[in-house]
Amino acid sequence: MELIPVLFITALLAGYFVLAGCDIGLGMLMPYLARTRGERRRAVSAAAPYFLGTEVWLVGAIGAVAGLFPGLKAAVVTDLWPVFAVLLAGWLLRDAGLWFRARAEAPSWHGLWDAAIVGGSWTVAVCWGLASGALLAGGSLASPFVPAVAAVVVVLFLLRGAAFGAERLVPPGSEADEAGEAGDALPAGRSPHTAVSADTAARLTRVLARAGLAVLAVAVPLGALSGALDGGRPLAAGAGAALVAVALAATAGTEGPGRSRHTSAVAMGVLVPAVGVGAAPPVEPVPGAVLTLVAVALAPVVPLMVVGQVALYRMVRRPAPATGFFARVAPVPAPAGTGALAGAARFRPTAVGGPQERESHGA
Amino acid sequence: MLDDPLALARLQFAFTAATHYMFVALTLGLAPYILFNQLTAVLKRDEARMRAVRFWGGLYVLNYAMGILSGLVMELQLALNWSGLSDMFGYAFGAPLAVETMGAFFIESTFLGLWIFGWDRMGRWAHWACFLVVTATAYASAYWVLVANGFLKWPSGFRIEDGTAVLDSPWALLGNPSTLMAFGHVATSALLVGAAVIAAVSASHLRRGHDPDRMFHRGIRHAVAILLVAVFPVVAVGGAQFILYGQEPPTSGMTYSAEEIAAIEADRSPAVEAVGRIGGDVVMMTSWLLITVVAATGAVVWLVRRLDRARWFHWVLIALPVLPYLASIGGWVFRETERQPWVVRHHLTTADAMTDLSPAMAVASFAFFTAAFTALAAVTVWLLVRFARRGPEGGPLAPAPAESDREGGEPVPARTL
Repeated sequence: MELIPVLFITALLAGYFVLAGCDIGLGMLMPYLARTRGERRRAVSAAAPYFLGTEVWLVGAIGAVAGLFPGLKAAVVTDLWPVFAVLLAGWLLRDAGLWFRARAEAPSWHGLWDAAIVGGSWTVAVCWGLASGALLAGGSLASPFVPAVAAVVVVLFLLRGAAFGAERLVPPGSEADEAGEAGDALPAGRSPHTAVSADTAARLTRVLARAGLAVLAVAVPLGALSGALDGGRPLAAGAGAALVAVALAATAGTEGPGRSRHTSAVAMGVLVPAVGVGAAPPVEPVPGAVLTLVAVALAPVVPLMVVGQVALYRMVRRPAPATGFFARVAPVPAPAGTGALAGAARFRPTAVGGPQERESHGA
Repeated sequence: MLDDPLALARLQFAFTAATHYMFVALTLGLAPYILFNQLTAVLKRDEARMRAVRFWGGLYVLNYAMGILSGLVMELQLALNWSGLSDMFGYAFGAPLAVETMGAFFIESTFLGLWIFGWDRMGRWAHWACFLVVTATAYASAYWVLVANGFLKWPSGFRIEDGTAVLDSPWALLGNPSTLMAFGHVATSALLVGAAVIAAVSASHLRRGHDPDRMFHRGIRHAVAILLVAVFPVVAVGGAQFILYGQEPPTSGMTYSAEEIAAIEADRSPAVEAVGRIGGDVVMMTSWLLITVVAATGAVVWLVRRLDRARWFHWVLIALPVLPYLASIGGWVFRETERQPWVVRHHLTTADAMTDLSPAMAVASFAFFTAAFTALAAVTVWLLVRFARRGPEGGPLAPAPAESDREGGEPVPARTL
């Protein structure tokens, strides 16, 4: 009977890595992919809508582990205290950066929070790498196997971010937005820059896939030779590594960038069960009363969880807008000669319910 | 103190919990107000009211960020620093928190994301329904956290086997009297926090004569009304909790005998007791009394139709939020110190609940999280005040100005998110 909670938690964690890998990865790549202020604003605008919806998977997973498998939680989190403490710090800084960035206009403000986003994203990825390596190595950070695994995990995050960026950094002018928005065509100088970010990201996926294969080629023998997995299930970990290698190989070829969205998702998704099964952490059966309590309390709201997530991803799947809650443009001053009132009449927000036909205003 | 991991871990928890609660209280207090406002706006198809919703919603979203950040630390801090609690009471304490993270927080954040990013992208009823889910799950979240916290004060529904607690009755957990009364108290006091903030913001704009769409004329009236409605229930439910004082929880005696319990309690620090009683109870009660005075004054000023113009009263309202925030923190200090030296009353002391932290770990953790929280909370408060003063034009959820091409002079559809 403990299979169902284990599967549920594995699904939550895998979901976190697959989904949050996108925004974490993009945050890590920001200094490389986004050089100008506009590009950086667009990169943040691409990552930000996701993080709110993706981090809840991790919060739920931690809660589920703490409540249903406290022994597992002790073995994983408490025993790796420094790694998880630093991960928490990085997570905190990254979220703060994403949320506060667009709240003021000063470049120094943006620079500060951009640094928090990039630094926080790298911290989180590296810590997950160290945690995965330490778990596979039987709970100790000392083995040389650990940094090798950490490197693989970091590359997987970068790959996921690059695949995400290849899609989401495409400027809206080149897609569905052309209907009725022709008047908003970006000035000639702007589109090439933002398109460059997406192209760079796409090309990066191949480089990262090859780097990932290289690191994997180091990690697997290290794991086999150092005896790190003796306490666990080396075959399961090996199978996981093989699947990751296949996904990376599919991305490493010329057709790779086009498929990278799916292959990077597969690689990330395999990571969780590979580490979870391979490390063989202690899992005790969940007592009946606890399982009943949690199952009965959650059953009515699971549909809401699913519906909400699906709706959120469909909504933010469209190309990243240039402005929004997480990435605002500095307000343009009203054209000279117009009074405040005339400007206000011109600048009426769209009515609730969607853009509608509006009568032309007399001068 | 720097070489006492227990003191540092406790201080860290107290500080992070207090910070967390300040932002949570405003979330709980503001959500129903926004929900009601948006309902009116949708029913009347009133664009002006929707602008008010955008304004209050912008403040809500800003505040929510700090609630999340502090909440993340709360969740992981329990796992990192308080593993002793998990070893003995892992299931009983952890199961309600597990439900909270998945059944409440997960849904709340997801639907808040939908509400933020779905503005003008979905039907107006669907958009309102998203915020209905956000409000409901916010209160559900409070309930489940209080199930865990109430268990600490009034442990029931389990038996002890081999030194760990085995859950017997989930119903005892859910219907715990300490939980239910605390929930009522938290819900009503959060309304006071929300109303005070709405009153302060509205008063500060009315004082300057700035009242677009009469939103602050409405806001100040709503706020005074909520204050009047909530101020007596909060003390009634809060006072009812004193019933449990001096009573033994039903599971008393399963871990320690009565003599051992008395010995442990005799050891408790008088300093902590004093902090709890004075810093906690007295601050809370005094603040409540002052809030009542302000609410009553507000009622009178409203009756003589001076609410929009009485500048002296506007200043009172601008200062008002200090009181419910002080009361909230004081209340939590009182609640938590009253339970010491126990973390689970009569079963587990705070000292035994802590992870085996080295002084270095404790200092590093305390230093980082205290500094980070202070900085982030300060930034959030600064941003909240700034956007509150700015008003509805240019708020965090205001429609984005269109891209640079506006010299054409034609109405440009404002690009919302």
